[in-house]
Amino acid sequence: MASGGTALPRKAARTRGEGVQPSSRGTGTRARRLGRSSLRHNALPALGFLTPFLLLLLVFQYVPLVVMAKNSLYSFSLFNPDAGKFVGTDNFVRVFTDATALQSMLVTLLFTIGLLILVIPLSFLLAVYLNGKLAARALIRTMIFLPVVTSAVVVATLWTFLLNQSGLINSALGVLGIAPLGFLTDRNEALPALIVMSVWQQIGLAAVLFLGGLQSIPAELQEAAYTDGAGPVSRLRYLTIPLLSRTTLFVVVIMTVFALQAFAPAYIMTGGAPDGTTNLIIFQIYRTAFYLQQPGYASAMAVIVLIFALLVSLVQMRLLRTRWNY
Amino acid sequence: MTAVTNHSRGRGRRPMIGWRLLSLVVVLVIVAVFLLPYLWMVSSGLKTQNDIFSDVAPFSWRAFVPVHGTLDNVVRLFTEKSIGRALVNSLIVAVIQVAGSLVVCSLAAYGLTRIKFKGRGVVFALILATFMLPAEALVVPMYSVVADLGLQDSLVAVALPWVASVFGLFLLKQSFEEIPTSLDEAARLDGAGHLRIFWSIILPNVKTALATLCLITFMFSWNAFLWPLIVVQTPEKQVVQVAIAQSVSAGELPDWGMTFAGAAVATVPLIVLFLFLQRFFVRGLATSGLR
Repeated sequence: MASGGTALPRKAARTRGEGVQPSSRGTGTRARRLGRSSLRHNALPALGFLTPFLLLLLVFQYVPLVVMAKNSLYSFSLFNPDAGKFVGTDNFVRVFTDATALQSMLVTLLFTIGLLILVIPLSFLLAVYLNGKLAARALIRTMIFLPVVTSAVVVATLWTFLLNQSGLINSALGVLGIAPLGFLTDRNEALPALIVMSVWQQIGLAAVLFLGGLQSIPAELQEAAYTDGAGPVSRLRYLTIPLLSRTTLFVVVIMTVFALQAFAPAYIMTGGAPDGTTNLIIFQIYRTAFYLQQPGYASAMAVIVLIFALLVSLVQMRLLRTRWNY
Repeated sequence: MTAVTNHSRGRGRRPMIGWRLLSLVVVLVIVAVFLLPYLWMVSSGLKTQNDIFSDVAPFSWRAFVPVHGTLDNVVRLFTEKSIGRALVNSLIVAVIQVAGSLVVCSLAAYGLTRIKFKGRGVVFALILATFMLPAEALVVPMYSVVADLGLQDSLVAVALPWVASVFGLFLLKQSFEEIPTSLDEAARLDGAGHLRIFWSIILPNVKTALATLCLITFMFSWNAFLWPLIVVQTPEKQVVQVAIAQSVSAGELPDWGMTFAGAAVATVPLIVLFLFLQRFFVRGLATSGLR
C-alpha cells in the first residue's frame, strides 16, 4: 500500500507539466479506486516482461555463484565432476599457504594500484584539457578512445611486439641512445610494462568519465570563484577536485574491476613469467581449473576475488553517500 | 593564493603563446602515443617478415608505411589459418548476443519502468547485485552450468550467458523513464494492452538508446576472449579473438606479419564503426558507469 500511495502523487506531478491535467486527474481517481488489488493484478504482466531476463540471470549468474561456493569446498577434476570429495575449508587454507597463489594475489594488487596511481591523475589532466576551448579536442578524444574499443587480445598482441627486444619501443629508445630493454623478460620491468600498457588502454574511458563530471559542474560556480579572485590552480584545488569526488570514486571502481579481471596480458604476453611476476589472478584461476584440473581450488580463489570486488563496491557506495554534493 | 591570482590576472599575449605551444606539444605527443602503434600494426601486416624488422631498427618513418606493400599475409590468413571462418563465427555470436539483448533487455526495462507491482524494488535489487560481480571470476562455474545444459562447444553458449546484460537494462531503463507516463495512460484508455504500448509507444521513442545498446553489445561480444577460449574446443568454431591469441601465445616465435595482419583484420571493422558512430560509443560507455 505504501508504495502505491507514494507512486500516485509522483505520477500526478510528472503529468502536470505536460498540460494534460484534466485527463490525468480522471485516471488518478480510477487508479486510486483500484488501489491495492491493481498492484497485485499488475504483477502478472510485469512478470511476463521480466521473465526472460530474470531466467537468464538466474541460470548464468546466480546458479554459477552457488555452484562456485559449493565447488570451493570440494576437490575434484572437470573430467570426472561426480567423483568429488568434500574437503571443507581446505581449499581456502591452501590459498593462503600456497606461495604461487599468494604471489598471484600480490601481483594483481600491485597491478591494480599501479594502474590507479597512473591513470587517475593522467586521465583527469586529459579531461581538464579536453574541457578547454583548444583546437584538436575532437581529434584527441577520438584518438585516446581507440584502445577502449580495441579488444584486449589485440592490445596485448600489439604490445607484445611494441615491447619486444627488437620492437618499436626499443627502436625509439635507441634514437635516444638507450640500449634495448628486456621489458617482458625482465622480472623488474614486466609488471610495470603491463601497467603502462593498461594505462594506454584505459585512459580514454577514464578521461571521458571525468569529462562528463567536469561538464556537469555548473558554470556559475566557476564564474563565482573567478570573480572572487581565485586563480586557475586554486579553482582546481578547492572547487573542481572536491566537486568531482563522486566521479573520481566511480572511475576508481571501474578501473579496479578492470584490473582485477585482467587476463589477456598474462595469457598472451608473458604466460605469468618471468618468475610469476605477471601471474595475474584470473590467469592463475584459469590455469588451476583447466590445466591443473583443480576447479575446486580455483573456485576458492575466485570466491576471494569476488569478496574483494564486493568490498570495493561497498566502500564506494558508502563513500558516495557521505561525500560532497551540489 | 595571491601569487596565483596575480599570475592569472596577467593574461596578456605571452602566456597565451606559451599555452598554445604547450597545447601543440600535448597534441603531438598524444598522436604519437595513440596513433603510431596502430599505423605500425596495419603497415606491418602488409609487409614481409624481413621488411618488418629492417624498417623498425634503426627507427624511421618506414615503420609506419608499407613501402613495399604485399597482401601475402592477409591471403595466407584466409587460406592457411581460415581466419574467414573465425570472423564468421564472431559475427554469428555477435548477432545472437545483440538480438538477444535487444529483446530481453527492452522487455525487462518495460516491466521495471511502466508497470507498478509489488516487489519491484526486490527484483531491481537482485538485478543490481549482479552488476558488482567481476564476470571473469565466474567463468569456471559458468562452464559447469553450460556443460550441464549440454551447450558446451557451441556458438550459442558463447553468446547466451551475456544476453541478460545488466548494463543494457540500465541504459534502456534510463531512456524509458524519460517518456511521460501520460502517453501510456492515454493509450490504455484507448484500449491498448501492455504489448501494444511497448511496441507502438515506447520502442519508437527510444531508438537512440536501442542503437547504443546494439553497438556496445556488438563491441563487447566481438572483443570477448576468456569465455570463448574456455567454452569452444573445436578449432572450426573458434572466434576471431581466440584465433589471434593462439597465434601469439607466449613462449612461441610468432610470424609477426601474419599476426599483425590478423590483429588488423579483427580490429579494423570495429574501428570503422567507432569512427562513424563515435557519439553512441562514448555515450554508451559513459552511462554504463553511471549506474
